[in-house]
Amino acid sequence: MDATRAEICVVACANLFRGDGEVLASPMGLIPTLGARLARLTSEPDLLLSDGEAYLLAEVPAPGEQTSTVEGWLPYRKVFDVVAHGRRHVVMGANQLDRYGNQNISCIGPHDRPTRQLLGFRGAPGNTVNHKTSYWVPRHSTRVFVDAVHVVSGVGYDNAAKHPSAGRFHAVHRVVTNLAVLDFDTPDRTMRLVSTHPGVTVDEVRESTGFPVDAGEVGETRRPTAEELRLLRTVLDPKSLRDREVPS
Amino acid sequence: MARILSLADAVGEVVHDGDTVALEGFTHLIPFAAGHEIIRQGRRDLTLVRMTPDLIYDQLIGAGCARKLVFSWGGNPGVGSLHRFRDAVQNGWPVPLEIEEHSHAGMANRYVAGASGLPFAVLRGYTGTDLPAHNPNIKQITCPFTGETLTAVPALNPDTTIVHAQQADPAGNVQVWGITGVHKEAVLAAKRSLVTVEEIVDELRPRPGAMVLPGWAVTVVAEAPRGAHPSYAQGYYDRDNDYYQAWDAIGRDRDAFRDWLTETVFNNTATAGGGTR
Repeated sequence: MDATRAEICVVACANLFRGDGEVLASPMGLIPTLGARLARLTSEPDLLLSDGEAYLLAEVPAPGEQTSTVEGWLPYRKVFDVVAHGRRHVVMGANQLDRYGNQNISCIGPHDRPTRQLLGFRGAPGNTVNHKTSYWVPRHSTRVFVDAVHVVSGVGYDNAAKHPSAGRFHAVHRVVTNLAVLDFDTPDRTMRLVSTHPGVTVDEVRESTGFPVDAGEVGETRRPTAEELRLLRTVLDPKSLRDREVPS
Repeated sequence: MARILSLADAVGEVVHDGDTVALEGFTHLIPFAAGHEIIRQGRRDLTLVRMTPDLIYDQLIGAGCARKLVFSWGGNPGVGSLHRFRDAVQNGWPVPLEIEEHSHAGMANRYVAGASGLPFAVLRGYTGTDLPAHNPNIKQITCPFTGETLTAVPALNPDTTIVHAQQADPAGNVQVWGITGVHKEAVLAAKRSLVTVEEIVDELRPRPGAMVLPGWAVTVVAEAPRGAHPSYAQGYYDRDNDYYQAWDAIGRDRDAFRDWLTETVFNNTATAGGGTR
């Protein structure tokens, strides 16, 4: 059974949660949400999932679908308690990311008079210094992977090292894109290419990245198992919304 | 005891040109009717405060009511950008908009400090980001116990906070249920407050998980049925998702926005919900 590129990405996002145990998974966007739910149904049964509004889910429905059983009540205001406590793994988006994992979601151009005002800092400053953070980039390109982000919203490894308070609980885990999986397990904590998705070459990733990326030992991103494909296609995303976000 | 006024009188009493005004409500119970009344009364130079500015602030900004926005996220939830907000920040239309940007937790903690009568709140977040360089209201502080360097943000004490709720009684006690965001903190932090409600009932019936804002903590209450539309009021009506979708095209174009203002806000004083959809 051949998996689509979107399905490869969902499984790569599910893998982000490997070994997390009982933490609150906070995936932003469809592909990471499907990934977190797939992880809960397979390798990480203790993961806490939210409906994205106020409920912790006892069951694992397709995103947006209601279920009859609720595990807990965790509205917006209370999420900050979990953030500060640190039992959370967020998967955020990024308008820009640099080699140290600094993320920008605030603006393009100068902050006081931007050429493009983006949605804003949101939870990034607190998330990145309090608990594990990963990123999902649906279109891997030199527009996103830049030499230097215009404004640091989420803290990367160089900035975490400069400020002891920021580094104490800082853990930028991985970046999953439509082309590849990257991490920061290098001596200087710069981005490293872990694997390319089936059909993607290392050169393609290099050309789409605005800084040199360590490509010493690159594998191929894991293909979904038959059971993962079944769960994804029949339970979590029967309408194939995933393929619209990441065309094959 | 809070006084019960008409929506127009209530907004006229608590919102003045140049005020710092917070309209709160996260996803649920967003005070749209009160926001439209502010536009109708032609308020100017407001400093608008809100954790998650969405359509109502896009409308207030596009109508030229604001000179500054204090926020941590500004967008059309599930749809995309706020085009009036972007036009104001990027092009100064219809008037320039200064921004003071925070993180979500920074905003929430500023309200908590304001509600507690304390001068500042302390956080770990912000350290290592560029925000302290762009926002003088974010400062380093040294913990007197551990010596750790953390971040302080000043208390937020709006001149006026406006929230929407389901019910009030004739004494102005307010009952809110469902997702309440920072309703309580924002009202308690403010010098004056207005709560718009779906209905005024003879007696508030206790509900599981509900929050009561006692009449002595609220300045004025106004009845505004469907006053949170196009957001929702649990127990009364659902979110009007089509409105949020349709807003993208209206907000994108200055003329379409001006037409919308005339038709929906200025020529529609009768319905508090401000919508024919």
